[in-house]
Amino acid sequence: MEATTYNYKVVRQFAIMTVVWGIVGMLVGVILAAQLIWPDLTFGIEWLSYGRLRPLHTNAVIFAFGGSGLFAVSYYIVQRTCQVRLWAEKLAAFTFWGWTTVIVLAAITLPLGFTSTKEYAELEWPIDILITLVWVAYALVFFGTIAKRKTKHIYVSNWFFGAYILTIAILHIVNNLELPVTLTKSYSLYAGVQDAMVQWWYGHNAVGFFLTTAFLGMMYYFIPKQAGRPIYSYRLSVVHFWSLNFIYMWAGPHHLQYTALPDWAQSLGMVFSLMLLAPSWGGMMNGIMTLSGAWHKLRTDPILKFLVTALSFYGMSTFEGPMMSIKTVNALSHYTEWTIGHVHSGALGWVAMITIGSMYYLIPRLFGRESMFSTKLIEWHFWLSTIGVVLYIASMWIAGVAQGLMWRAANVDGTLTYSFAQVLNTMYPFYGIRLLGGALFFSGMLMMAYNVWKTVRIGRVVNDAAIPQAVHA
Amino acid sequence: MDSGTVSGIVTVVFVVVFIGIVWWAYSRGNKDRFEDAGKLPFEEDDAPAQQGDKK
Repeated sequence: MEATTYNYKVVRQFAIMTVVWGIVGMLVGVILAAQLIWPDLTFGIEWLSYGRLRPLHTNAVIFAFGGSGLFAVSYYIVQRTCQVRLWAEKLAAFTFWGWTTVIVLAAITLPLGFTSTKEYAELEWPIDILITLVWVAYALVFFGTIAKRKTKHIYVSNWFFGAYILTIAILHIVNNLELPVTLTKSYSLYAGVQDAMVQWWYGHNAVGFFLTTAFLGMMYYFIPKQAGRPIYSYRLSVVHFWSLNFIYMWAGPHHLQYTALPDWAQSLGMVFSLMLLAPSWGGMMNGIMTLSGAWHKLRTDPILKFLVTALSFYGMSTFEGPMMSIKTVNALSHYTEWTIGHVHSGALGWVAMITIGSMYYLIPRLFGRESMFSTKLIEWHFWLSTIGVVLYIASMWIAGVAQGLMWRAANVDGTLTYSFAQVLNTMYPFYGIRLLGGALFFSGMLMMAYNVWKTVRIGRVVNDAAIPQAVHA
Repeated sequence: MDSGTVSGIVTVVFVVVFIGIVWWAYSRGNKDRFEDAGKLPFEEDDAPAQQGDKK
């Protein structure tokens, strides 16, 4: 018999875990920011040292918070825009429990010091294999659902999700080819500059396809829904899709400017990074222009504020990124706090805010309610987040430029003007402002948790929502 | 073939592909189909599910 309802169970599980992992990951971030000011904060306990917690923070916010959010929205959107129930629901359940196991294993092994040392791919080989299995299941469920769709067209969000699922599979497998020595130690199959290039081909496309393409899929569904009107230009979104994905693939070498990487590869990375500005801003405009004629909704609707502010930060960081890839700018910015500021402008401003806005749309619907328990709390959350991000990135800009200028300053006789400790000393006030910004953003997440808890308490669990029957597209 | 020639050929191919995509997206024949696709998120029942599962 044909299913008459959507599968909301797996969506609900992932949505709730998005909030949980967001809090965990951002709390670790706040601890790290404090450790940079007070290095002895964790009493010298090795499991809580900066070097162990840092990969835990990045993995938790990217793959646990961002990843769970993406599973939730992609399962929701693919069902609703294809108007069919998920294909292979047992596999979908496996993706939830498998992904959650991966996260728990990461939270255990990283503080214990087990790491393959590749940034954003630190997890050791047994966990890598589990990730691969979960991802293949994810791809089967997603593309299987698209294959049995009842609608004629495949909505643009699903194109973005599809590109993200395929690319992440390739990136994960190629970058994690490694030689296991023991159960908890392996060595990369590549050596030297090839290893660096493969790593940053992976690293940048993790940013490009995990943190950008996939979240654009979120944007293309939730902004039209919340604004109550279709996307400004669907045709622009088609050009956006192909050009963004095509260009992103080549931008990785900009992480290796002025290294042993051949010069032509460095220049190639820079040129493709500069070209990225065009599709990125095309997509941003497309999202923002969707509000034309509905601008007044921004005054009263904090969910829309979250979504549109996220797009603004997306525009800012996709302008900043190409600029930082220019070799002469990179000579100043690389290895400084400016990079950290740039990452968080994207990660907090774009990824977290678009996710939070989408969750505020999604969660009440998964619990049979019209809206969240408190709209006022969403408003508060919005302002805390916005002020938090602005403090964070402004302090890191100033710190980074100062750091870069002090590092390169030389005396007449060629010796360095400033010692490392002197530069570090200059950083303290900015580290303080960054900690404040991060703490504000984190406190907003606690408000969200309370709001979600109350919404869930007064709502009813909806595992199945009816598929509209009279639809034909 | 030296690397300059390869770069030239690759650049031309990429530009042609890009123009092809833009032409395809904006061609008159595809107008309706893309407009239809853009309306997909709205061809559904938006009301929250009436009967939740039992707690």
